[in-house]
Amino acid sequence: MAEIILEDLAQPDAIVRKSRLRAVFGRDRKAQVGLVILALFVLTALLAPFIAPLDPNEMSLNMMSQPSANNWLGTDDLGRDLLSRVIWGTQISLLVGVSTVALALVAGVALGVVAGYYGGWIDNIIMRYIDLQWAFPNFIIAVYLVAVFGTGLLNVIVAIALAFLDDFARIARSMVLTLKEEQFVDAARVQGFSDARIMFYHILPNALAPLIVQATVSVSYAILGEASLSFLGLGVNPNTPTWGLILADGRSFISQAWWLGFYPGLAIMLVVLAINFVGDGLRDALDVRESEI
Amino acid sequence: MLAVATLVFFMIRLVPGDPIAAMLADSGGPEAREAMIRRLGLDQPVIVQFWKWFTSMLQGDLGASIYGNNQPVKTILLEALPRTMSLAFLSFMIALIIAVPAGILSATRKNTPTDTAVSLFAFLGLSMPDFWLAILLIIVFSANLQWLPAIGYAPMSEGIWEWLKHLILPSIAIGTGFSAIIARMIRSSMLEVMQADYMRTAASKGLPIRVQMLRHAFPNALVPVVTVIGIAFALLISGAVVVENVFAIKGLGRVLIQGIQNRDYPVVQGAVLVVSAFFVLSNLLVDLLYAVIDPRIRYS
Amino acid sequence: MDDKNLIKRAKVELRDAYEYDQRDPLFGLTKDDLRGDQISRRATLRLLAVGGALGLAQVLPGLRSTPAMAGGHSGGELKCAWAGVGEITTLDPAQIGQVLQFQIASNIYSGLMHIDNTLVARGDLAESWEVSENGLEYIIKLREGVTFHNGDAFNADDVEFTFNRSSDPDQSRHSRVIANVAEFQKLNDFEVKFILKRPQASFLTKALERASGRAMTIVSRGGLETLGLSQYGITPIGTGPYKVASHTLGQAVELEKFADYYDPDRPKLDKISIQPVDGVEPLAAALEAGDIQYVGGNPFPTQLIDRMDANPDLMVDVKPGPGFQSIWINPWHEAMTVTDFNKPLEELKAEKGFMVRLAIAKALDRELFIQQGLFGYGVPALGTINPAMGFFFDEELASTSEQGYDPEGAKALMAEAGYPGGEGFPELTLQTTPNTKRAGQVVANILKVTLGISVVVDPKDFSIGIEEFNKMEIDLRLGGSGGDYDPDDGLVDWMQTTSKFNGPTRDTSTKPFGFWSEDEADALIKEQSATADPDSRRALVQRANGITSNKVACAFLYHPVDVLVHNKSVIVPEDARIPGLHELDRISLA
Repeated sequence: MAEIILEDLAQPDAIVRKSRLRAVFGRDRKAQVGLVILALFVLTALLAPFIAPLDPNEMSLNMMSQPSANNWLGTDDLGRDLLSRVIWGTQISLLVGVSTVALALVAGVALGVVAGYYGGWIDNIIMRYIDLQWAFPNFIIAVYLVAVFGTGLLNVIVAIALAFLDDFARIARSMVLTLKEEQFVDAARVQGFSDARIMFYHILPNALAPLIVQATVSVSYAILGEASLSFLGLGVNPNTPTWGLILADGRSFISQAWWLGFYPGLAIMLVVLAINFVGDGLRDALDVRESEI
Repeated sequence: MLAVATLVFFMIRLVPGDPIAAMLADSGGPEAREAMIRRLGLDQPVIVQFWKWFTSMLQGDLGASIYGNNQPVKTILLEALPRTMSLAFLSFMIALIIAVPAGILSATRKNTPTDTAVSLFAFLGLSMPDFWLAILLIIVFSANLQWLPAIGYAPMSEGIWEWLKHLILPSIAIGTGFSAIIARMIRSSMLEVMQADYMRTAASKGLPIRVQMLRHAFPNALVPVVTVIGIAFALLISGAVVVENVFAIKGLGRVLIQGIQNRDYPVVQGAVLVVSAFFVLSNLLVDLLYAVIDPRIRYS
Repeated sequence: MDDKNLIKRAKVELRDAYEYDQRDPLFGLTKDDLRGDQISRRATLRLLAVGGALGLAQVLPGLRSTPAMAGGHSGGELKCAWAGVGEITTLDPAQIGQVLQFQIASNIYSGLMHIDNTLVARGDLAESWEVSENGLEYIIKLREGVTFHNGDAFNADDVEFTFNRSSDPDQSRHSRVIANVAEFQKLNDFEVKFILKRPQASFLTKALERASGRAMTIVSRGGLETLGLSQYGITPIGTGPYKVASHTLGQAVELEKFADYYDPDRPKLDKISIQPVDGVEPLAAALEAGDIQYVGGNPFPTQLIDRMDANPDLMVDVKPGPGFQSIWINPWHEAMTVTDFNKPLEELKAEKGFMVRLAIAKALDRELFIQQGLFGYGVPALGTINPAMGFFFDEELASTSEQGYDPEGAKALMAEAGYPGGEGFPELTLQTTPNTKRAGQVVANILKVTLGISVVVDPKDFSIGIEEFNKMEIDLRLGGSGGDYDPDDGLVDWMQTTSKFNGPTRDTSTKPFGFWSEDEADALIKEQSATADPDSRRALVQRANGITSNKVACAFLYHPVDVLVHNKSVIVPEDARIPGLHELDRISLA
């Protein structure tokens, strides 16, 4: 009997949350719209080679021509079809958005949980570093890392991931600190579970809520960050069309071809908007207060 | 901060690229190159360079740029700082002007079309890349309507209107995103506060709605908002980096990026120090404000 | 006088200029020619010819009769933009490294001499001069009553100061320019003497000249002392027609008329503001709004030229420019190896590495590149000798060179080299600067479409790029010279085995020579540099140029054009049009 009770206490609370999620999303129109838009973008990214009407890198002498039947969004200064470029750009933007956050999440959470759980000098060292990083705006860190290690897709992903890791580490740590004192943790310890198991199987699932919300926020910033880096010329390889790059290249031709400045930016905005809608919905569903972030 | 300084010093030297070659490009033979290296103290071992820089920094001397005509870094930064500050200040003001009424309005008229409209606007502002907004503003206001200049900066000494003219567009570009965050924060914070006990007390006292809102709800709602402002300040600085680039304003952000591009070590070190000091200071201020607001509210 | 006659006359002048005994220390001129307060056009042409800086482009302007121009009024303020740059980094002649900087500096300082656009060398701060029989001693009488912008009086001490400063490589980048001076003597307050080691034709026309020399551009001792070195570079003090009213880095350079300038007729304008403008759009917006009226600095963005030309308020003048740009090919790359360029062309063409090299050059559709990459504003290049060098330019080269555009020939070569349709050929990286990235993309695309090879554009910041270029750690690079008007610039600086841009810091054990090395070309280039007679020199130059073209020293791409854009309200008289410079003291407003 006692064992069963202990087992119960040691189970994470997450199950309860899941059904709440479904309930709220079902009602929240905003979040639904967000999901739909996101799904569209994801599909575009996956199906890019098939949907894009023309080769995004194919140059022509039809430079800077207005949106027309042949080129729905017009062409750029080298005669390349803007629509195809924007479609292909979806791939990188989403890839960067997701992978950077995934990395940052894993690394940041690991650090934060370890720091919070063990406390003492481990906590000290880790938090020293995190505070150091916290002292800088995330974007500036990313700029700096890219400048040091060079541009290119991999470097950009790592740079942004590293830059965003402080957010996750801090949240994870503070959640661990609060949860550490809860009953189910004592129960688990009494049962002889290893530290690692307790940290990641028992505590972490309960800390998920704010982390998930932070993740969605971070994805939108990661996408904006990649766009900004590309814009500053510090982003991905110039042969790959990313939205930020298209904007940067188009900058010198804006007054002759306004569509170069409008559509890629619109794409960025829509994706980020969708993510924000979804993130908001999640926040409501998981009952996370803004000030916790 | 000291750790920051050390880290920055060594990291920038990791960056590939030879600043001397770039500066000499096609004039000057090997003897000019050696002379320049000697003059800039780059021929000494890195550790010695670090020690020299560190000790002078503590005395307030940040060294001299190794690019161009070797301006002292302090001068460069001192010139850049007021520009970024003006930009930050103006952006902040614009953000507040938009966000405060928007936030309050949307909270008091929850779930009405006004609320939806404001929320939508907030979301849009949040999702727009600031450099995109900057470009759009340039297209409309500079290229087409020609109301405002597209680039540059004019110090206050040239007249308030000149100063304002050059800063309005970039400030709107930065401030809009910022205002979205604040507006949302005000809204949710006020909503929470409006449910609180003391609000019901105020209502039962028969106070007009407006007084309830402004005197009681709003100040209490401010607390978490202030926190968010502090955190979102990072956004202001990051935004400034990109927007300064678009508008060719030589503020801290631009100085930093150019320093990195030119491999101008002293400038980058100095700029990073200043940015982080700035940031640390603003966080401190927020903490202080927090402490000030908090106890007062408990008594109301 | 129509163009044909003009050119005839010019050739006569050129021939005369180049006709002298090389052993004569005074270059066929008499002491009288070199004495006085100005040097005649004929004598100046001679000096320029000997110094290697004389071409058709220099000779022509002086022959054209100046149309009576509605003179502008004096006074007024001119707003200029300097294109393609974010800040005017320095205006200290000892540190100036960019043309756009000394375009401004030449209005703030004076030199001892100044050559006007008709190629008469006039004294600037030198009132008169004489040269000794052996061509080694120059005695210069200085102008009296000249003051610096800060009120200090100018005298021989200032010349001495500038000379000492410029000779010291620790203080000036241009110490080489006056390296031939054995001794400097101050004779009295207004007389100085230079003793040279060897006769040097370009001493008066270049070393002491206001703009091109930079070594003897007279700086202010007092100014340096009061302001300190770095501030002096930002707000310099000189003796020129304009003084700096204010300047902070990144902001405009505000110039105002220097009331005590020694020539009472100049400058015409009261104030000039020179704003560095980095982006393309802001430049266009400012020009169209009338916020600025004159553009100098880096080359004008080609995509705006047509638009500005169509604008009724603006005037656009396009001239062939100096310089060349090419695709440099690393001969030590596995797939493109060429170990010996001295073999006869037929033998080279049998080598796989050379086949690829030639294929790349043949595949360059230069006309298309100019259309797409430069919006039509450029001239196809097949050698370093450009149209602005007039007399020396070989118009036939386009059709006779091995490098001429020939897509079928290029494909055949690739196939013969073992890479039919580009199959199996490794991916190459094409290094560019961030500014030339776009051009690089056009080239990469052309190569892809014609040869089927994959070329990846790699824009690198100049500081990194230059290092790699010098060490030859690249596959391909887009680059070249901004250039002067003399054949020496392209040939000597780039096409010789020992040229300063030919892989100077490479690992010589794995790379015996740089990007290219050919003995006959080396010899020809050396010879033409010392050849007097214009026709003979021309023959030598064209032969050397032909070799560099046929044996693919690099895949030549284009020659840039020189574009001047300004508002119609700005009167730019002929004597203000000196190639590469902006003589703001002769410009006026309508």
